[in-house]
Formats: sequence, structure tokens, C-alpha cells
Amino acid sequence: MPQTTIYVAPRLAGTLGTIPPAVATVELARLFGRSAALAGVSLTVEMGRTVALLGPNGAGKTTLLRILATAIRPSYGSLAIDGIDALHDTEQVRGRVVYLSHATGHYDDLTAEENLSFATTMFGWGFREGLGVAREALATVGLEAAAAQRVRTFSAGMRKRLALARVLVARPSLLLLDEPHAALDGEGMLLVDRLIGLWREAGVTLIVASHQAERVASQADAAVRLEGGLVADVSGAGVIAGPVGASPRPRVAVAGIDR
Amino acid sequence: MNDLRRGLAVAVAIARKDAISELRGRQAAGSTLFFAALVLLLFGFALGPDSRRLADAAPGLLWLAIVFGGLLTMARLHQLEADDGAFEQLALYPVDRRAIYAGKALAGAAAMLVLGGLLLPVVAILYAIPIGAAWLPLLVAVVLGAIGFAAIGTAYAGLTVRMRAREVMLPLLMLPIVAPLLLAAVKATAAALSGDPLGELGSWLQLLVAFDVIMLVVGVGTYGFLLED
Repeated sequence: MPQTTIYVAPRLAGTLGTIPPAVATVELARLFGRSAALAGVSLTVEMGRTVALLGPNGAGKTTLLRILATAIRPSYGSLAIDGIDALHDTEQVRGRVVYLSHATGHYDDLTAEENLSFATTMFGWGFREGLGVAREALATVGLEAAAAQRVRTFSAGMRKRLALARVLVARPSLLLLDEPHAALDGEGMLLVDRLIGLWREAGVTLIVASHQAERVASQADAAVRLEGGLVADVSGAGVIAGPVGASPRPRVAVAGIDR
Repeated sequence: MNDLRRGLAVAVAIARKDAISELRGRQAAGSTLFFAALVLLLFGFALGPDSRRLADAAPGLLWLAIVFGGLLTMARLHQLEADDGAFEQLALYPVDRRAIYAGKALAGAAAMLVLGGLLLPVVAILYAIPIGAAWLPLLVAVVLGAIGFAAIGTAYAGLTVRMRAREVMLPLLMLPIVAPLLLAAVKATAAALSGDPLGELGSWLQLLVAFDVIMLVVGVGTYGFLLED
């Protein structure tokens, strides 16, 4: 098994040296046109916890992850990552959050190594150092032999592996994985399980959206179930539905949402 | 200082990966050049065989061909980002938005420069115009025109890349804005080709510089917002 180094963002201390929650959302809502993909989600996740995000199609899992990743802004509500206001200090938050989405975000005419080497530069590695980090990550995800191949020739599973390698070269504090097992073969799924274990051990906070509830739940500290854009159920340790330590905000009336 | 160095590294990395994609996808880049050369040929047919008439129209036709080819180039450089959700990934990297703009604009300017540099001899051959004596001012005009076009083209391509009708929207939005650049570039090219008898070349080049500066400021100021949802 190739060596796998896990890189992590330095922990931040909150006011008076307290540890802020990794995620603190208050009444997050997101409208697309007139329909609400998220209808007011308040969640607090302790640092270093692994959370399974469950729910049927259209429950709002991907929308929640995209908002946490700062890929889209909420229509209402507030969001803090590691105690940093994600709607104002977005760039700072982006240095701490890494998001693995359905779209793998590669450049087809670049080789796997070139794609990853580009990512290392964007994540702040120096050129030489980045190349070493990229090669190790490629070996970890089993793409060493395909490093010089253009991504255009890759299967969906290989693209997913390369996206996992990109997560490995980042330095996350919070990792958001949207269906990380999708498109992967059996060996690839085991690789994802192993990486989740390594990130967990390293103290990274993980939120994993998945339809493979049993697979993810076995590694998770807690499970959050979304339904119709709302939190339907929370179980396990380290996650609370609702804001902690904050005074309740007046609820915003969102047109067309039955609460 | 560290921020500046990191910004430069990011911009160069973005421009480099765009350049590699352009060179590897030779078909697309080659087709754009061929298209622009074909436009010049068709203008030649439309104006007839009168060599005097062709020589008079050459500066304007050259820049129209550069603008048409440039629109395709700008759209293509952002199409790379639209495939497979790369634009969102680019937005999520923890880097200064201005560095992302600088990288995309740098790649655009380089591509425009190659396009303009290759179309100059095509014009010279098709319209039988001697450009040897005026090569330096012509090159300066092409460089300044390429920078200005890429500066605003990058911003508009970033704006339209997520639109459904982006192929139509990019020229529709961009052509009115590049009109001053087109005017200054055509006048500068005409002055350079005629040996600048009225001494106006400097003024037109200055106007091009001013246009470039304004468009770069606009691009730097707006591109970050375009990357966001």
C-alpha cells in the first residue's frame, strides 16, 4: 500500500481560547426560482466529527453541501465555518473547506499529473514541493500508471479517483464529500473508506452525503437526515440541530414554503 | 510581497494550463485562424479586384478578422472551464480573484497576439500590401489591441460562460464595447501602413493604451463577482 500523507489546516481558536464549531448554520435557506431546495437548516457540528448526511433525492443534501463549500450563497440565514463568517470572509473559509462534488472539475486536455500539479499551485504549494505531493496522491488513488494520460481518455471512476487525489493535496479543516463512492468500483469504494478513516484520524471534520447509508454510518459519529429541505432527524454525537450559544433569530417568512 | 508572488504563481499556472489546452486542442485553435483568414479572403472577393481599394480597406478588414477570431478564442478559453464543472472548482480555490482574472486575461492576450501576428502576413499577401517597413508600429498596434481585447473579452466570457445562449451573448455584449478599440487600432494600423504622413500614429497608440488600462481595471474589478454564484 503506498504511503499516504494527510495534510490538514491548522486549528483555529475561538474567543477566549474556546474551540469554535466546525460548522454553525442558522436557518439556512436557498431558493431556486420559486422552489426552496433548503427551507431553513440550523446545524452545529463539532470539530473533528464525521457526519453522514442522508436523505432521499431532492432532500437538499447537495444544496447544503454547496452552501457550506461557498459554491453558492444562501438566500437566507447565516453560516460560520471554524468560527469564521463564511458569507463575509469567504476567501479565508475557502482555505479551510474542500468540496468533492459530482462534477469532477478536471481539464480534459491536461494529463492527470498536470491537473493535479495545477491544483497544488492553487492550494499554495511551491512548484517542486507540489509535484512531489501530487505524485504521492496519484499513487494513493491508484492512478500512478495513468499519470501521463490525458484526462479526456479517463473513465468516470478514474475521474473520481483524480478528484480524490485533488482533495488529498488540499489542506482541509472541513471536508465535504458528495456521494464519494459513486462511479467507483469495489476497490475504489474501499479506497474512499480508507481515506475517510485517515482524514478522521487526522482530525478533519467530514460531512459525507450518501445514499449508501450503512456504509457511511459505520464510519460516522453522527447522522443527519434531510427531507424536503429541512432537518428531519439527527442522531449520534457531536451534531446538534439548531444554533448553539446564539440567541434564536426571528424566523424569516419564505414565500411558498410550508413549515 | 508574498501575496504578490503567490498571485503571480497562480496567474502563470492558469495561463499555462490554458496554453497547454489550446496547443493540444490544435484543431480548435487552427480552425479559428482558418476562419479569420477566410473572412479576409471573402472581404477581398466582396470588394473586388481593385488593388487600391483593397489596400485602403486593409486595416479595417484586418481588425474585423481579429475581432471575429478573437470572439471565438475568448469563448473557447472559458469553454474549457465550463466542461466538467471546472469553473466552479476554479472559484473555490483559496486564491485572490484578481490573480484568476490575470491568468485568464494573460492566456487570452497571448492567444490574441498569435492570432494578430499570423493574420498580418495573411493580409499582406491577400491584399498585396508591403508591411516590411512598418513592422514595428504594426506590431505595437497588434500587441496593444490584443491586450485590450483580452482584458475585456475575459470579463465578458466569464459573464456569459454560464448562460445558455453564450455563443450569441458574447458578441452581442462585447462588440459595442470594443468599438473604441477597433477604431483606434484601425487608425493606428492605417497610419503605420501609410508611413504616418500626418503624425497621428502616436495619438492612436496612446488611445489604445488608455483603452487597455480602463478595460484591465474594469476586468480586475468585476471578474471576482462573475466567479461567484
